[in-house]
Amino acid sequence: MKRWLLGAALALAACTSREQASSMATTGPSVYAVTATLHDEHAVPMGLDVYRGHPVIVSMFYGSCPVACPLIISHVQEVEARLSPAARADFRVLLVSFDAERDTPEALAAIARAHHVDLARWTFATGSDDDVRQVAAVLGVSYRKLPNGTFAHDSVITLLARDGRPVARDDDPVADVAPLAAAAEAMR
Amino acid sequence: MKALLRNVALLALAGVASTSGAEARETSTVLVGAGPYKPLFPASPSQTEVHVDAFRLDKTPVTNGQFLAFVSAHPAWRRDRVAGALAEPGYLSRWAAPDALGANAPVDAPVVDVSWFSARAYCAARGMRLPTEAEWERAAAASRDRADGSSDPAWRAELLALYSRPMPARLPDVGTSAPNFWGVYDLHGVVWEWVEDFSAAAAAMTSPSAQLRFCGAGAAGASDATDFPAFQRVALRSSLHASYALHDLGLRCAGSAR
Repeated sequence: MKRWLLGAALALAACTSREQASSMATTGPSVYAVTATLHDEHAVPMGLDVYRGHPVIVSMFYGSCPVACPLIISHVQEVEARLSPAARADFRVLLVSFDAERDTPEALAAIARAHHVDLARWTFATGSDDDVRQVAAVLGVSYRKLPNGTFAHDSVITLLARDGRPVARDDDPVADVAPLAAAAEAMR
Repeated sequence: MKALLRNVALLALAGVASTSGAEARETSTVLVGAGPYKPLFPASPSQTEVHVDAFRLDKTPVTNGQFLAFVSAHPAWRRDRVAGALAEPGYLSRWAAPDALGANAPVDAPVVDVSWFSARAYCAARGMRLPTEAEWERAAAASRDRADGSSDPAWRAELLALYSRPMPARLPDVGTSAPNFWGVYDLHGVVWEWVEDFSAAAAAMTSPSAQLRFCGAGAAGASDATDFPAFQRVALRSSLHASYALHDLGLRCAGSAR
């Protein structure tokens, strides 16, 4: 077992594995089993299941992130743009920040404005270290706070069914959005 | 010794079920002093040492008996009731039944097949938490007689032998090895243990600079390329998901120094 795990871990760390792991169909139990308390860009308390009942894309980011996080947001916007009007009306987006210290409700609202998202269907949220860690854990997002206040993290974009079951995910914010958009459209 | 440990375990059990947790913590945990931790893969090139504040750590890994008491008091964590996202199907699969240990899970042996979520819930029920990676490594850097055993060739050879040994079919009872400098048992060579920030190990390999380390030159970015056990621990942590329940992965709890 130890040897097997070591091998698996080293394979994970190999150069190409993360680039290849994009647009995967996935299934799993509902992530809404996690009872983390977050707050949104209006400082309103909410759970990870704020969009229960809708197909929702969930990802994690931080506001001061220079490259990967704007790519995550534009990736989700591209998915949204491909949806039919009916599917888009039903579709929701939840972006959870690692950086509760700097991503205050005001900062989250400013990010939403800068990206011209529809806050009727998008939510930017964050929470305590403990709550954010639980959300990252259930979504399988690895991250590490760096001494300069930035975060090393992987860019996992997960599509959840209405009951919180993961149905598809992209591990690469510059992957072709077509498979994720098709999966979201199919949930209408 | 055995009797003492059994008493410690019973006190810890009492801590799960009652409000005498603070008292139980005093006997089941030890103080690990403040000091440096040298990460195998520093978060930045300038950060070769991280300061770790003093903290309390369980002397021994959590046992099957202790975890059974927790599950009995918190039935949402029974293997037949737990939410799938919080523990995969192998959760507590060595136990004979959702509420009984059986021959494959001796009462004083370390509990294994526990997910990160369940490990956190267990510690929270005792008023404690999982140790951070830095705390765990700080405690585990100690040899029998000093806080940092890294410069002691005999200790390093002993560790290497421990980490090369196959896992026994029956896990030994906790606390049957010799304690380290802090009075902590079984940090090496028995089971792997969950840490609160286990995913930081994978994130260390996610950044472009980290990928270069692994692609180009293997261990080139590591602070100590000869520390094979540390590589094994980082490799294990980076392969985990929080719902995983593995046959050789257990836990112990930590708390603040005061």
